[in-house]
Amino acid sequence: MSQPTSLFLAGDDHAVLMLHGLSSSPLELRFLARYLNAEGFTTCAPVLPGYSAGSEEAAMEAWLDAAVREYDALAARFAHVSICGLSIGAALALALAHRRPAARSLVLLSLTLSYDGWAIPWYRFLLSWAYFTPLRKRWRYREEAPFGLRNEALRAKIARAMQRSDFSEVGPSTISLPALHEASRLAASVRTQVRDIKTDCLIVHAIDDETSSPRNARFVAANIGAAFLRTIWLDDSYHMITSDNEREIVARETALFLRESEVAHGGDDSGKQPVVSKALARRLRQLAALGKERV
Amino acid sequence: MPGTAFCIAAALVEYFCGLAPALAVMLLGLGIADYLFVPPYAAITVFNSADLVLLISYPLVTLLVIVLIERLRRSQFRAELIASVAQSRYEMLLRHDNERLLARRAVDETHRLLRHLSHHHRTFIFIQALERDALQQVDDVRTPGLLPRLPNEIAPGPRFADVDTEDIQRLSKALWPGSHRVRMKGADGASRLTECMCERFTTHAGEFLVLRIGD
Repeated sequence: MSQPTSLFLAGDDHAVLMLHGLSSSPLELRFLARYLNAEGFTTCAPVLPGYSAGSEEAAMEAWLDAAVREYDALAARFAHVSICGLSIGAALALALAHRRPAARSLVLLSLTLSYDGWAIPWYRFLLSWAYFTPLRKRWRYREEAPFGLRNEALRAKIARAMQRSDFSEVGPSTISLPALHEASRLAASVRTQVRDIKTDCLIVHAIDDETSSPRNARFVAANIGAAFLRTIWLDDSYHMITSDNEREIVARETALFLRESEVAHGGDDSGKQPVVSKALARRLRQLAALGKERV
Repeated sequence: MPGTAFCIAAALVEYFCGLAPALAVMLLGLGIADYLFVPPYAAITVFNSADLVLLISYPLVTLLVIVLIERLRRSQFRAELIASVAQSRYEMLLRHDNERLLARRAVDETHRLLRHLSHHHRTFIFIQALERDALQQVDDVRTPGLLPRLPNEIAPGPRFADVDTEDIQRLSKALWPGSHRVRMKGADGASRLTECMCERFTTHAGEFLVLRIGD
């Protein structure tokens, strides 16, 4: 069994801490990390003990502490640190942003606060009860097709990789019950904290997400306290938006958002792109008017 | 029909709360209607034709209404999601459009700068880059006439040496687009005041001010 390894790509003084999904590995963020690095960002996708694949399950407080340690290590070296999370990693990113409000921006990809997508059977709630039975140690939740992928060629490739290894580009092949239990505890605590988070936030979610329904993203978009919030909906992807058909869009918009957030808070206008397009100016005015109405 | 009020209640609950609460209301309503509004009243031990009529007609009508509303609600949810996809795509498109326009403007300006330099190549005095690292970038782009590593982001032109050093000092600190008067050495060595023109160019490598001798 191979162990996952951390990913660190050095760039400028804006570092992005990337948190992968539950019991998974930094592999699933590799494309995004490389793209962001090519755009100049420093990217760091760490392996968190107790959370990543191949390590003994730990309580969600331990996940959060490990993430905070990684964040502090980056914050000591770089001027800006943003947090990016995929799936349960996005819930972890929210918890981390609550613990460290100084984070520059927050990117939530396929945020999962509850497993309620269309591929999740209605009797899944039994799984949270199974945690309190002897099944806890033995039974493991097995990842099945479509593996969060709409792209069928990629799905076939992943299905082969899943048989060979414990984790792949799109996540683990199995998840243990304690890990799922801790993830639901994390999600429950994040739901209560969302209102207090003021960090700039980008939410990217697929409307056909088979693991977490768009309600998760809507909940955060409606409740988060951030002034600069952008929501992007995708319709040609499933859950693993960093590997699926629209991964280029996800990467591009993430890079754009991180730069905009950095410029908006940097104080100097030198990096700011002037608005030349009349249609964009009109749209921005509309959005500003909408924002005023909401307040 | 004894179940009408409960049918309406179930339809309203379905519209506002969803399928599961509506089904609960329907079943509850069936029991209450049968108990209170079907003769004999307030007795559950008797089962006659009136009960049978309620048992068939009420669930039939209510289920039909609930299921249709549920289907409409689902397609409404779907349509809202697709609309939000369209909206985020439109916003992405507008942002890309803005970038494209900026790039085109920068390219146009670069062409104008190049034309300007080649047209006035005998008369221009110096080029000033307004951003600190602009000259470094120009080094990659290879705009003709610019040399890297000069003080104050200034690259000299062919007539640079003829201009009085005091004027160079003054202009390098405060240069703006428009006309300037500069003391310049003539062919005979005597200096005289000359009208000069300064123009501004916003290229993709940064902003530049070009000073040249006026026509």
